Amino acid sequence: MYPRKFSYVAPNRVEEVLTLLRKYRDEAKLLAGGHSLLPMMKLRIIGPRLVIDLKNLRDRLAYIRDGARVVRIGALTTHADIELSRTLMRDIPLLPETARWIGDMQVRNMGTVGGSLAHSDPAGDWPVAMLALDASVTIQGARKRTIPLSRFLKGPFTTALKPTEILTEIVVPKPPKGHGWSWKKFERRAGDFATVNVAAIVVPDGRGRVKNVSIAIGSVNPTPYRAVNAERILRGKRPDAGLLDKAAEMAAEKAQPSSDLRGSAEYKKWLTRVMVRRALEEALSRAGITLEMTQHA
Amino acid sequence: MVRVRKTRAEIEGRWREEFVVEEEEKISPWPAEASFRYIGGRVKTVDGVAKVTGSATYTVDVSLKGMLVGKFLRCPYPHARILRIDTSDAERMKGVRGVFTFLNVPKIPWYGGLTNILSDVLRFQGEEVAFVVAEDEGVAEDAVEAITVEYERLPFVVDPVEAMREDAPKVHPDGNIFAGGPSKISRGSIEQGFGEADVVLEETFRTSAVLHNSLETHSAVAHWTSIGLTVWESTQAINNIRQRLSQIFSIPLSMVRVVCEYMGGGFGAKFDPGRHTILAALASRMTGRPVKVYLSRTEENLAAGCRAQSIQRVKAGFKRDGRITAMRLEAIINLGAYAEWVPLVGGPYRMLYQIPNLETVEWGVFTNTTPHTAMRAPGFTEGTFGLESIMDMAAEELGIDPLEIRLRNYAEVEPESGVRYTSKALRDAYLIGAREFGWEQARSVRKENGKVRAAGLASVVWWGGGGPPAYAEVKLNMDGTIQVLTSTQDIGTGTRTVLAQIVAEELSVPIERVRVVIGDTSLELFSPGSGGSGTLASMGPAVRAAAIDARNQLLDIASQFLDAPPEILELRDGRIETKEGEKSIRLEDLLRQLRDFAIVGRGARGPNPDGYAVETFAAQFAEVEVDVETGAVRVLRVTSAHDSGRIINKLTAEGQVIGGVVQGLGFALLEQRAVDPASGSIINPNLFDYLLPTSFEAPEIMPVFVEPLDTRANTLGAKGLGEPPIIGVAAAIANAVSRAIDLRITQLPITPQTILEAVKKAKK
Ligand SMILES: Cc1cc2nc3c(=O)[nH]c(=O)nc-3n(C[C@H](O)[C@H](O)[C@H](O)COP(=O)(O)OP(=O)(O)OC[C@H]3O[C@@H](n4cnc5c(N)ncnc54)[C@H](O)[C@@H]3O)c2cc1C
Repeated sequence: MYPRKFSYVAPNRVEEVLTLLRKYRDEAKLLAGGHSLLPMMKLRIIGPRLVIDLKNLRDRLAYIRDGARVVRIGALTTHADIELSRTLMRDIPLLPETARWIGDMQVRNMGTVGGSLAHSDPAGDWPVAMLALDASVTIQGARKRTIPLSRFLKGPFTTALKPTEILTEIVVPKPPKGHGWSWKKFERRAGDFATVNVAAIVVPDGRGRVKNVSIAIGSVNPTPYRAVNAERILRGKRPDAGLLDKAAEMAAEKAQPSSDLRGSAEYKKWLTRVMVRRALEEALSRAGITLEMTQHA
Repeated sequence: MVRVRKTRAEIEGRWREEFVVEEEEKISPWPAEASFRYIGGRVKTVDGVAKVTGSATYTVDVSLKGMLVGKFLRCPYPHARILRIDTSDAERMKGVRGVFTFLNVPKIPWYGGLTNILSDVLRFQGEEVAFVVAEDEGVAEDAVEAITVEYERLPFVVDPVEAMREDAPKVHPDGNIFAGGPSKISRGSIEQGFGEADVVLEETFRTSAVLHNSLETHSAVAHWTSIGLTVWESTQAINNIRQRLSQIFSIPLSMVRVVCEYMGGGFGAKFDPGRHTILAALASRMTGRPVKVYLSRTEENLAAGCRAQSIQRVKAGFKRDGRITAMRLEAIINLGAYAEWVPLVGGPYRMLYQIPNLETVEWGVFTNTTPHTAMRAPGFTEGTFGLESIMDMAAEELGIDPLEIRLRNYAEVEPESGVRYTSKALRDAYLIGAREFGWEQARSVRKENGKVRAAGLASVVWWGGGGPPAYAEVKLNMDGTIQVLTSTQDIGTGTRTVLAQIVAEELSVPIERVRVVIGDTSLELFSPGSGGSGTLASMGPAVRAAAIDARNQLLDIASQFLDAPPEILELRDGRIETKEGEKSIRLEDLLRQLRDFAIVGRGARGPNPDGYAVETFAAQFAEVEVDVETGAVRVLRVTSAHDSGRIINKLTAEGQVIGGVVQGLGFALLEQRAVDPASGSIINPNLFDYLLPTSFEAPEIMPVFVEPLDTRANTLGAKGLGEPPIIGVAAAIANAVSRAIDLRITQLPITPQTILEAVKKAKK
C-alpha cells in the first residue's frame, strides 16, 4: 500500500507552515498524528502534492496549560497526553475518560486532539466531548481567530478551517467543582469508532437540583449536536426516572442516523436514547443528585 | 522387506486412496502408563524466540538481488466483461518491467477450469484483471493506476437463494448450481422417522461468509532460473504447491522447489498456489529476475477466500424422552464465483448423533462474490450451529436438560458407516467439561443490574486422524546434535516443537539438541499439507519411526564400541549405557568417533487401521451476559473439553483451543463479509469495518483435555486439534444467548441489533 508520490517538509515555525499553505492551498495537507491522513493516502483516496509534517512544532503546539477558568490544549497534544494529564483528571475528568476509549494504544500515542477536530469525522470522539464542554478553537491564518467549536464543525469532514489556516489551540472552560460528568461510547468492538457517543455534564445547584446540564451526541448526525431541548427540561429540576426517560427521548429525536454496518437507523436512534439516559444517570449521580422517587419509577 | 499397501486418507472430509510403503518393523504405540520427559508436558515452542525477535524468515522477508515487485489491478464490479484494456501508459512508465493481461498470458485453466489465470470475464469484485511487475512497489501501484479498462457491466447475483432461481443472472454458462444439483445423502426412512416422532421442530438457520484474516496475507517470491523454478510461498502445503506448479508449467517435479520456512497462518486458505504465484512465476520466467508479490489486506479480504455463507433448513423429530427419530437438512451454500468442492455443512448432522433416519441435501450455489476456500473446519463450523441449535430447541420443548438430551443421542459407533471408533471420549468431555464449567449452577438464567446471564453448550465432531504418506529422517550429527528432516511445514501450530519433543523423547536427549528442518520440498521427504487437523497425527508417527530407526542403528554401533550386546543397551540423558550402568559412553563422544558418518534413521507414517473411524470430539460451554437494552453480548467464559487423543504438548494445545474459541466468538458475534445488495460491492474489505475480536472481547477460556488412550489410530495415540476448538463455539454462544433472552437465535453473527429486533418481534 503505497501513496501516490508527494513532497514532504517538516517546518520549524508556524509562519513557515502558513507560507507553504498559502502557496499550495488545497494541494497541501498538514500531517499531525497521521492516523486519519495516512490511511487515506495509502488507500489513494487522496493524493496531496505536499505533506507538511507538524512534528517539529510539538514544542510549541503540544501542551496542556492550566488557567484560572480555562484549560488550554495545544492542537498537537496527543490523545495519550490527555488520557494521562493530572490537571485534566482533576478539573475536567471527562477529557481523560474520552481519550481512554479512542482506538488502541498506538492510535492514542500518535493521534492528536487538533487533528481529530480538524478531521471532523461524524463519529469522532473529541468533537462530542468538546462540544459538551463549550470549547472554542483558535485558528491561525493571516490573522488569528477564536471561534466556538459549534461554529467550527460544519459537517462531515468539513470545518471552518480555510486551506491557508492551521488549528493551534483548543480552549476548554472548566466546569465548576463538584460537577458530574459521563462519557458513554457504544462500540461494537474494542477500538472501534462509536455507534453512538454521548458526553454529559451536570452542574448541581447545591440543593439537589440541576443547575446546568449539557448533553452532546455524536455519530448519529452529520455533525455532533447538543440536545438543547433535553437540557432545557432538566434545568432547575430534581429529575425522576420519568423525566430522564423523557429527556433521553427528546435528545434522540434530533438524531437522523443512516443505516450501515453499525446498525439500522431505527436501532441507532433507540441506542441514542439508551445511551443518553445512562449518561444522565451517571452524571447526575457523580454530581450528587439523587433521583426523585415516583410511583411509576 | 518393504511392503506396499493401499489405504484411504482424508483431509477435511475429502477422501483419497494412497499407497504407503510400510515399515519393516512394527512400532508399538506408547502405552498408557508410559512416563515421559517431554511428551504431554508444557514445552515452550522451540522457535518462539526466532518469531518474536524477528529473525524467523517469512515469505515477505525474502529479498533477492534484482527482485521485482508485482501488483494486481482488480475488478471493481461483481460481474463484468473487459471491452478494451489499455496498458500502454503503464508499460511506458519508468521502472515497469512487464504488464500482463488476458491478451498476453497463456490460457492456464483456473478454479478447476471455470475460468483462466487471467480472463476478460470477471465474476467477482476483486477478481484479477491485470498484473504489473516493476522495480519497486510504489512504481507498480502507479502503473496499476495508469491502466485504463472499459468494462461492460453484466447482470450479477450475490444472494444464493436468488441465484437458485431459474431467471437469475448466470454466473457461469452452465448455471449457478454446482454439479447441476444437490448432494443428497440419506439413511433409514425420514417419513417413517417423522411419523414416529412425538415432537417435530422446524427452523431455518443462517450463517455469514467470514474471512480467514491470517496475520500474514498471501504472498510469494518466484525465481525462475536455468535449473528450474524456486518459489517461496506462504502456504500450508509446500508439496501440493510443488505438484501444481509442475503440472501447470509442464516441468518435472525435480525442477520445482517450494519453500515456506515460517508462515503467519492459513486457516485453510493456503493449500494451493494463487494467481499471484503463477503470475510471479510467469513474470520471473520472462524477466529472468525474482518477483515478489504480497497481497494487501484489502486484496486478501476481497479475493483470497472466505468461509461460505450457509442457509440451513432443518426439520427434526423427537421422542418425548429426547431421542431423535428423524432429521432432515436442506442447506444452501454460497460458494462464491468459483469452486471445485462444496463445504460439508451436512457433516455434523451425519456424524454427531445416532440418528436412525436422516436426509441431508446440500446445494452448492455460485454467486458473484469471493470464491470460498477451506476455512478451519469448513462446513462443520456452520453446520454445528444449525444442528446444535435445534438440539437445544428440542431440549426446551421437551423439558430436558441440554446436556442430557445430547447424552441420550450419543453415537456409540460411527453413525454413517457403523464402524467402531479407534477411541471416543465425548461422554467424558461432556461430563468433565460440565463439571469444570459448573454447568449445574450456570445453566439457570440470572438477572443482575439490567443484564441477563445464561449458559449454553454445543458438541463437536471432526476428523483429524491424519494419515500416510508422510516421511521423515532423523540424523545424528557428529557434534551430537540431532536433525529432524521432513518437508512438512508449520502453519503456526507449533509443528517444530512437537516433532522435536518426539525425537528428544525417543532418543532421550535434551530438546535443545534437536533441530527440526522443515518447509522445503528439496528435502525430498514427502509430507501432506498442514490442514484437516492432521499434521501431528500424520507427521508425528513418521518422525517417531525415524527416531526409533536412528536409535536402533546407534545402539548397534554402540554395542561394538562398548563390547556389549545391543539388547542390554539403553539411551539415558544423552548417554548410551548398559542396563546396570557399568559401561557407558556419551552420545557426542560416540558420534565424534564416527567422524563424518552421520546416522540417518528413516521413518514413514503407517496406514490408518481398517474398519475403524478416527475422529475427534469436544464439548464446549459458554456463559454470556446480554444487555437487553442495547443488545450487546459479552461472552464471559468458555470451557472447551476435547477428546483429541493424547496431547503431546499442553502449551501448544491450549494455544489451539484459545485461538479457536476466539475465532469462533468472532463468527458468533462480530464477523460478516458484508455485500451491498444494490451494487454487489463488498463494503468491508478491511480490518476497520470487518470486525475481528480483540483481547477485550476474549472471554476467560478454560481448555480441558480428556485424553483417552488410543492405541489404534497411530503410534502416538494423538489425534488432531487444529479445527475442533472453533466448531461448537458459535452454537454454544447462540444457545446461551437464546436462553438469556428466551428467544431462539437463528442467525450469525448475533449483532446487538438482531437481539433487539428479536425481543421486539416477540413482544408483538
Ligand atoms: C485504528 C484507528 C482507530 C481509531 N479509533 C478512533 C476512535 O475510536 N475515536 C476517534 O475519535 N478517533 C479514532 N481514530 C482517529 C484518530 O483519533 C486520529 O488520530 C484522529 O482522527 C486524527 O488525528 P491525527 O492527529 O492523527 O490527524 P492526521 O491524520 O494527521 O490529520 C487529520 C486531518 O486533519 C488535518 N490536520 C491535522 N492537524 C491539523 C491542525 N493542527 N490544523 C489544521 N488541520 C490539521 C490534516 O491535514 C488531515 O486532513 C482512529 C484511528 C485509527 C487509525
